[in-house]
Amino acid sequence: MNDTDIKSRVIAIIQSIAPEVEADALRADQPLRRQVDLDSMDWLNVLLGVHEQLQVDIPEADYGRLVTLDDFVAYLRAKLGTRA
Amino acid sequence: MAPADRALEMRKAIGAAMSRSKREIPHYYLSETIPMARAAAWLARANEERPVTARLLMGVLQLKAVAHALGQVPQLNGFWRDGGFQPGKGVHIGVAIALRQGGLIAPALLDVANKDLDQLMRELTDLVRRARAGSLRSSEMSDPTITVTNLGEQGSEAVYGVIYPPQVALVGFGRMVVRPWIEDGQPCASPLVTASLAADHRASDGHSGARFLTELRERLQQPEDL
Repeated sequence: MNDTDIKSRVIAIIQSIAPEVEADALRADQPLRRQVDLDSMDWLNVLLGVHEQLQVDIPEADYGRLVTLDDFVAYLRAKLGTRA
Repeated sequence: MAPADRALEMRKAIGAAMSRSKREIPHYYLSETIPMARAAAWLARANEERPVTARLLMGVLQLKAVAHALGQVPQLNGFWRDGGFQPGKGVHIGVAIALRQGGLIAPALLDVANKDLDQLMRELTDLVRRARAGSLRSSEMSDPTITVTNLGEQGSEAVYGVIYPPQVALVGFGRMVVRPWIEDGQPCASPLVTASLAADHRASDGHSGARFLTELRERLQQPEDL
């Protein structure tokens, strides 16, 4: 899975929780949770979506590394890479 | 009903309930700054061992602490009906849930005092999901004996709520912030939450309200007992 694939999977997961989000309007280098109104329960649901669809379990200690969409993609790429 | 009509209906319903509240309920307001270092450390440790499917949110600890504190100050838990206070049978907390299309709804998390954190987390997750999907039962809207609103990580530092009649109190939690704090005479950086209480002066007074907030603060210093 390349970065573009990972990014579109993550956006799809976010949209399943926040349907009003438009993929084109998201700035991948800006803090994600400030652009998309995600409370802590929504955030947990995003991580559950990642767990179910990409089989990556993100520990709470790593939340701080997932500020922007770019961060998120880089993080998942590293996790998926190590497993393969 | 079209989404726009539903949103309009919801605004009208909120408007009616809140107008009645402000017209009929003599509110008083108190707030307390609660140090959250112990609760945050406990939660981080608890979640370290949990897969993402079983992780707890701070909001659940706060709800349980509210339920325990209400055990000491029951005059905040119940209804004002027919000119008198009617204590709630059990602590059923109306959890304020913001809806994406606007508006909010506060269905009941039942019997919070007697459930463990894992069960409360599962039920809260289910409640939020169903609230957003529009599939709540009508009894879930009338069951709450008190409301808790939690502004969460993207919210403001403090909230002073409007009581949902015929309930007699609303507890608000603001966003957790890290600020200078004095612990054992020493300055430190501490995560803090402002907890507030809006209560009906017909059912209680500021003295008992203050006891509730003190009790709430203390319960959150002993997260392992929640």
